[in-house]
Formats: sequence, C-alpha cells, structure tokens
Amino acid sequence: MVKYFAKRFAMMLIALFMIVLITFVIMHSIPGGPFTSDRKVSEDVEKALNEKYNLDAPLYEQFFEYIGNLLKGDMGPSFKYTGKSVNDFIANGFPVSAKLGGITIIFVLIAAIPMGILAAIKNGRWQDMTVMAVATIGVTIPSFVIASVLIYTFSFRLDWLPTYGLDTWKGYILPVVALGGYSLSYLARLMRSSLLEVMGQDYIRTARAKGLTELKVITKHALRNALIPVITVLGPTVAGLMTGSFVIEKIFAIPGLGVHFVNSVSQRDYTTIMGVTVFYATFLLAMVFIVDIFYCLIDPRIKFE
Amino acid sequence: MKRKLSIMLAMVMVGSTLLAGCGKSEPQTIPTTTEETTAEETAPATASGAQELTFVLSNEPDGIDPSITNNSFAATFISNCFEGLVTNDESGSVVPGSAETWDISEDGTVYTFHLRAGLKWSDGTDLTAEDFVYAIQRVLTPETTAQYVSMITTYVAGAQEFYDGTGTADSLGVKAVDAKTLEITLIQPTSFFIDVLSMWVYDPVQKATIEANGDKWTTTPETYVCNGPYKITEMNMGESVVLERNENYWDNANTTMDKITLRYILDTSTALTAYESGEVDGIRNVPASDVTRLKAEDAGVQTVPSFGTVYYLINCEKEPYNNPLVRKALNLAIDRQSIIDNVVQIDAQPAYNFISPGYVVNGVDLTDGRSDRELSATANVEAAQAALAEAGYPNGEGFPTLQLSYYSDDTVKKVVEALAEMLKTNLGIKVEITSNDWAIYYEDVQKGNYEVAAMGWSADYMHPMSFLPLLVTKDVSNNSFYSNSEYDALVKQVMSETDATKALDLMRQAEDLVMNDYPYINLYYKANNFLMKNNVTGFYMTASGNLYFKHAVKGE
Repeated sequence: MVKYFAKRFAMMLIALFMIVLITFVIMHSIPGGPFTSDRKVSEDVEKALNEKYNLDAPLYEQFFEYIGNLLKGDMGPSFKYTGKSVNDFIANGFPVSAKLGGITIIFVLIAAIPMGILAAIKNGRWQDMTVMAVATIGVTIPSFVIASVLIYTFSFRLDWLPTYGLDTWKGYILPVVALGGYSLSYLARLMRSSLLEVMGQDYIRTARAKGLTELKVITKHALRNALIPVITVLGPTVAGLMTGSFVIEKIFAIPGLGVHFVNSVSQRDYTTIMGVTVFYATFLLAMVFIVDIFYCLIDPRIKFE
Repeated sequence: MKRKLSIMLAMVMVGSTLLAGCGKSEPQTIPTTTEETTAEETAPATASGAQELTFVLSNEPDGIDPSITNNSFAATFISNCFEGLVTNDESGSVVPGSAETWDISEDGTVYTFHLRAGLKWSDGTDLTAEDFVYAIQRVLTPETTAQYVSMITTYVAGAQEFYDGTGTADSLGVKAVDAKTLEITLIQPTSFFIDVLSMWVYDPVQKATIEANGDKWTTTPETYVCNGPYKITEMNMGESVVLERNENYWDNANTTMDKITLRYILDTSTALTAYESGEVDGIRNVPASDVTRLKAEDAGVQTVPSFGTVYYLINCEKEPYNNPLVRKALNLAIDRQSIIDNVVQIDAQPAYNFISPGYVVNGVDLTDGRSDRELSATANVEAAQAALAEAGYPNGEGFPTLQLSYYSDDTVKKVVEALAEMLKTNLGIKVEITSNDWAIYYEDVQKGNYEVAAMGWSADYMHPMSFLPLLVTKDVSNNSFYSNSEYDALVKQVMSETDATKALDLMRQAEDLVMNDYPYINLYYKANNFLMKNNVTGFYMTASGNLYFKHAVKGE
C-alpha cells in the first residue's frame, strides 16, 4: 500500500509539471502581452519593461527560470501590479477564500447528507419531492442569480444582512448560501441516489433479514458504502470551494483568490496566471490524493496494489 | 487513474480559458487629463457628525506610484495623497500646489518655481526642491519603467538624453537652485507646459523610502510616504485602502474630512445596492442603465464632462476606406442621438469632431463655432447614400462586407450592434461584427488589422495637444493610419507657439483639415458619472476623472 501511494505521489508530481508546462505554453501563445494597455507606451518603455521582467529571453529559458524560482517557493512579481508579488496575492487572498470555502463546506455537508438520506428513505413521498425540487433548483440556477436574488431580498428589501464584505459574521450568510448552493444540491442528489442503490443490495436484505431495525440497517450497513461516491466528488469540491469563486467574490466584494484566476488572464499577467494555476492544481491534486487515502479506510472492497 | 488525470488537466485549462471571456479590461474608462468642472456647487455645508466616509471604487489600480503608473484607476489615490508643483481647483483651473509662485523667463523656456514655506512629507521630514529633482530623474531612469515618461522627455531639456544614457544630471533641465527653488528648462517654449505639469508624473516622491523599500514602497501604509492632503493608514489587499488626513500637509487646517475608506467593490450592481441601502457614501462607477432612474430620484448622481471622445477608428490605409467619401458616407449614416439616448443611455453631446469641448483661452472655447462636418444628431440617409454613390458604390452595390470590430464589453457590444444595423439599412452594405478580448483586440488595431474599430480617447492633460498627435503621421497613437503632411506641420507649429490665442487658431485649422477627411466616426463626447450622498459636499472631479476630497464635508 505504501508502494501504491508512493507511485501515486510521483504521478501527481508529473501531472503538476505537465500542468505548469501546458499552461505556460498556452499562455505565451495567446496574442497580447501584459503591457498591451489602452495608453500605448513608447518603444523605449516597452523595452525597459520587457527587460525588467526578463520577457525578451527565449521562452524555454524563461520556463526553466520560472521552474527554478518555483522550487524555491518564489512565484515572481506580478507584471500588472507594481510592487506586488504573486506570493502576496496568494498569502492575502487564499486565507479569505479558504475561510469562506471552509464554512461553506461545513454548511454543505451538514445540509446535503441529511437531505439526501431523508429523500432516499422517503423515496417517492412528499419529503423526497421537496428535497429534489430544492436540489434541482440549486443545480440549475447559476450562483450569480442566487446571489443577486439573495442580495435583493435580504440586503436591499429587508435590510437584515450587509450587501458586501465579510466584516461581521452576518456578512458570511449570503455568500455561503450562494457559493454552496450548487454543491449542496449536487451532493444531496448524489447521496440520495447512492443510498437508494445501496439499499437495493443483497447485504442490506441480509441485514434486514437478521431482524435489524431500519435505523441500524441504514447507519451501520448502508451509509458507509453510500458515502463513497460522495467522498469521491468531495475532493474536487473542497478544492473548488476553498480556492475561491470569481463570481461570488466579485458580487459580494470579497478580497479572495478567485478574482485573480480571471483577471490575470485578461490582463496577461503571466506570473499571476502561472501562480494561481499552480496553486490551484496543487491543491486539487492534494485533495484527490487525500480522497484516495479515505477510500481504503472506508471501503473494504478496495485493495491497493 | 489516467482518465482522472486527463480530466483534471482539462479542468484546469478549460477553467483558465473559459474564465478569460468574462474579464473586464480597462479601455472603457481610459486615462487622464487635467481640467474640471465642479461637481458640487452648493455653498459649503457645516460639518456635522463624524467626518468619515466610505467611497466605492470599481477597479483596482495597477499601482499607486505616481512616477510609474498611467492608470486612471490610480487617480483617486494619487490626487488625494500627492500634490505636485501645481494642482487643480474646483473650477478646473491649474493653481499653485507645492509651488507658491513661479516665474517664466522672457524666452519662455525657463520656469522657476518657488516652493511654499515649511513643506513636509507625511513622515514629518522636510520636502525640498531636491525631492522634485529626484522624482524626475527617477522617472527618466529606464529601470523605473515609468509609463508617462514621454510627458517629460517631450518637453524638458536634456530629458531624452538622460533617459537614453547619453546625458547627465548636469545636462538635464531640472535643477534645485536651493532648498526652496526649482528650475525647469524646456526644449522650446511651450505655452501649455503648466497644464502638462499638473500631471502626476511630475509629483515628488521621497528618496529615503524608495531606496529602503524599492518597488514595495507603495505596498504598505508605513512606507507610502506622500505629501498631499491625505496619507494612507491602512491597506487591505483587494479590499480597501484607508486615507486619513495628513497633519504635515501645508493646508491641513482647511481639510475637514478625517477619514476616507476607499472600498473596492468590483461589481457595480452590488456597489449600487450598498449605496442605496446606505452602507456607503458614494460610488465611482454607476451602472449606465440606472443613471436615468437615479437622477429622477435625486439620489446624488454627479455628471462631470470629461475631456474625451468616443469614436470608431476607420482604417485609412485600407481599400475602400482610403477614400474620404466612403468615410463620409459611414459618418452620415449614423444616428448619434439614438445611440446616446437608447443604447448608451447617458447625458452626452453627439460628436462631429474629435477634440472634445472644454479647452478655453480668454473665454473662447476651441470648439466654439466649429463646423459640424455636414453631420447632424440624427442620420442623414440621403446625403450618406449620395456620398457612397459618388465614391462608386451606388446603393452600396459592389461594396465589400464591412468588418466592424470591438472589444468584449457589454456597452460597446450594444453600440456596435446598433451601428451595424444603421450602416446596413442606411447604406445597403453588408456588415460583419467581430470581437475579441482587449489585449488581442488592441494588438490587431495597432497592426492595422481591422476596418472599423471601437475606440475612444481621454486626454492626458487639459489641452488639445493631448488629442492632436492621434492623427499625426506615424505617431505611436495613430491607429487609423491617417496621414496628411500639412496637418503634421501645423501640429509641429502648435508645439512651439507661445501665444495661446495663436495656438488656438492653429489647432482649429489643424482639426478642420483632418476632420473634413473623416478619419474617424466620432460618436459622442465623454462624461463621468458617479454617486455621492447629498449630505456630502465640497469634493470635486476634474475632466480627467481625478476626484479631490481635499475640501469634502459631511453634513446632516
């Protein structure tokens, strides 16, 4: 098993390297550069800028220099924001996104799993219908619509909650709901269908035949296996929620990491594009890796060779 | 396992490319000038309650180092934290700032500035003429990568040589005669040098903090040493910047507002909701579709004409657009009023020329009595068709499909669609619309890889000379590739003309010459809209969009 995880870890590093390489190549092959501004700077200034950021060196040289710095933990200066480094963006933005994301995950788990279980147990009854109706809405309506409706209702009309920012605990309520809406609905549906599937298995029939109470059947036998698909998607979900959402952060004016994912690309801020991509990729791979470890803890059928 | 990996790769990549589509580039709100119209004419209100306000900005500047940036989003920071030799007052004129008075030599090339007594940096140290010399030399050092460097090299003697490394500090025309006297020598007499001087690239910066902190000096409140009415006391990356009064500012006694929180809210609808529910006192960018309603509700809409024009470039080198008659036909076929009222929904004047109104010499505006180039607020379909027929395309027959390009932006998109419709129905030609994100789009425009393209200009300083080079042969900013040697010669003459009235006359001639050739489709003159609660007074915005809080007061 240790061997398996060692191999898995090595694969992860290779994947990460490929992501860095591919992002680097794609980024440099799209037209436009970091200094294409509406106010054309003179050729002298452009030359000075290219020199300052070493952009006139051959691409492969820039790539290896980047990798070298990356290994030292230095993601380089932002090309767009004078005096700020990509490390600063991540150090400032990630904790904000991660805190919001963390709270959202807890909210999602606390709500989604019971919702899914309830819907599965009451399959076909009104409780099931209600949960599924809510979940369908949550999956289909984009987060920015949910966010706008929430702001309009609770901030503007009722004036109960702040419109923007995370200055008080009240500020977290709307972003958490808007951010978690999709994952909540998705996980609730997944929990429901997975539990329904498990409930039809032979060993559940056996458990029932033994005369166990329905509660015991579900908690002791069904739930553990039904959770496997949920845990599978939980890895990427956690990574996605904790690294910040551009849309939610923009609408609620939250100074997180999400905004850099998008703006850096349209601004061709090369180091920031690379930095946030590498950071996100690492985080995502780590989450998937952790999920794999969880698998073997939770599912006795899985054996790692 | 392998499958999972490739999906992950795809996710990361699709993520970055998809997202690229919704980024917002800055061209909509192009840069800077130096004139103004008062935003708030009300008599000074009496201060009441805590003198603190929260003002929302919709864009984060690329930096707040006055020597480096040319980004219009930096204006609110630099205008309130720094003060150059001259500054702008509420009426729009250039007035003494750090310099109390100045003399100009007989031949108009040597300016001697006498600094105010007791000038200090925000950290309490003395600010001397040497600081201005240091700042200008820093701008002229290539490693600084100052974006506005040409605003110094074009005018100041020895500046280009200093930048190129062929000149020395001795041959540079910027000298500290003593601690209180600064002397600037120009290449040639320039009647509008004081206007240029009000640009922030001439602001002083403190040597001590820059030498100690390098590029990072603008990133913490402690190291951001400045000399304006306000200083920064808090910086929360991506979230907010807090300005508090600078006790070391020479005119601090006349500042009322103690604390201004500049909060970034990138989404203008959220900002508007926060404003309407009373969480903030003002917002810098108002969603265009709400302006009419907010005005009707007297919700504090401030409209300030800006020295800029929205126009469409026509590629003057490309067939058939190299024919002025074709360009004239395109111009005549546009219903400008309808675009202003129904599409952009702003309070703006239709434009028939490219220099926007606002530049005044002895009470005469450059644009007074200017020709309308046979254009009117609405389309003149008959004249347009006649011009196209004269160019050899009766009823649009045989005219190649017109490529209309624009950059990804919601407002521009709507305008482009309206324009395309007008050209199709009024001229009977085919129109194809293409769009790209700003970085790609602008590269194409600069390469001449377009036919008709969305663009606009906001002047750098309050003088038509910030417009005129746009059409000078081979100028870096000449993206329509228009060329007229007579015009080039006139612009050169304006540069050296010391008599403002004569210069005005020359500029009128120059504009007349090019505009009769229709190198652009001019649409309307720009205006800035922002919101401020009715109990806040005394602030003012220049035509460049520089917002000054120096005299802001919060009342009942």
